[in-house]
Amino acid sequence: MSKPALTSLHQALRKSFQCVENNQKLWKSVLAECTPLLSSLGNLAEQSRALSNVQISNTPLRLFPDLEGRLRFKLLQATDTVLGKLNDKMTSLQSVRDAISNQVCAVFQLYEQNTDSLGLPVVTERSATAPSVTDMLEWLQDAERHYRHQFLRRKTLLQTLRADNLSLLESAPERWKSLESPTADDNITDTLCKVSFFMESE
Amino acid sequence: MEGESGDMTLSSSNRKCSGVTGSARKIKDNAADWHNLMLRWEKLNEDGFSMAANIVNIRRSQSNEQLVDESSSAPTDGAAALQDECCKLQEIIHKMAAVVTKMRRLMTSQRGLQDLEEFQFGPEGRKSPLFHNWTTKQFESSSRVLLDAFSLELKLKQTILQELAHTSTSNICMVYLSCWLHQPFIPPQLSLTLEALLLETGHRPL
Repeated sequence: MSKPALTSLHQALRKSFQCVENNQKLWKSVLAECTPLLSSLGNLAEQSRALSNVQISNTPLRLFPDLEGRLRFKLLQATDTVLGKLNDKMTSLQSVRDAISNQVCAVFQLYEQNTDSLGLPVVTERSATAPSVTDMLEWLQDAERHYRHQFLRRKTLLQTLRADNLSLLESAPERWKSLESPTADDNITDTLCKVSFFMESE
Repeated sequence: MEGESGDMTLSSSNRKCSGVTGSARKIKDNAADWHNLMLRWEKLNEDGFSMAANIVNIRRSQSNEQLVDESSSAPTDGAAALQDECCKLQEIIHKMAAVVTKMRRLMTSQRGLQDLEEFQFGPEGRKSPLFHNWTTKQFESSSRVLLDAFSLELKLKQTILQELAHTSTSNICMVYLSCWLHQPFIPPQLSLTLEALLLETGHRPL
């Protein structure tokens, strides 16, 4: 009686891990594209800082009276462009998060619908090639939570940036880097390894 | 990228060669020249920036050996390299000055067209526009806006060239570099002015 329910649950789990695998790659590539953007953001902040520290009227540039304002405008404009690009990247990250969340949500729904017919022994049973359903659900939930947290923290970092707060902008690349959590990433990779036989056993 | 769009303008002006003559022909060619000169300027600006950055790095490694450890050149090497980079940057500025001279010639030719028009049609100018709806005066004022911006930017770059190798304070060096890179006297609306010119003269499809 529980057999078709288990099969369809297995199917949904396979699909979810496939989705995690694909999106993990996508996530990494988008993050890699963000790094140069963040460093140019920090660099622009450094340039603005230098401009603020220099008294233009005491330098040979005093020949150009409106230079400071114009340069500041250009720097702001460049910062704006970089932030715009980062915003696009965040949209991509958000779509990765949503894809994983939706998939995991669907598999949990399926599980909850079939809890009664499956029974505890079936969902906790594991074999040499296939982990138990409960383990796999847990791993999926971990992965989903990881991407949700990551997205939120990165988004918050970007949203707290202000053009007039140079120290925030200057420290942005560092803080962005500190958000990386290699252990969580490795855990997801580990999970994908653990389910690799299960994935192939269709 | 730069070559492509340059070619595009040139070829499109060549193709429509048969259609326009006289003052219109001249104005149209001038617009294409503006476009190409501005592309050339951008290219020179990029090349010059890496040299300017090198100069600043050499200067900093000279004044503060432990600050820059990747360029492990001896001080004498540093001086020679500095001289070398300065010469290259000077070369770039010469080329930029040549670009501005050509721009000035475009301006002169534009003014000549304006004078000719006044001679032909009186102070009011021609009744029907040469292209879509700009008067010849508007072409002249656009050229004036472009020329003024680039002349001032050239002056800024010449000042930077004179000072860059004699400065070791990191802040002011940074300001020089960001001036070079961001070109404060070439505002973003300048590219709109150029686009308007290209649109009006038919280089860009309406």
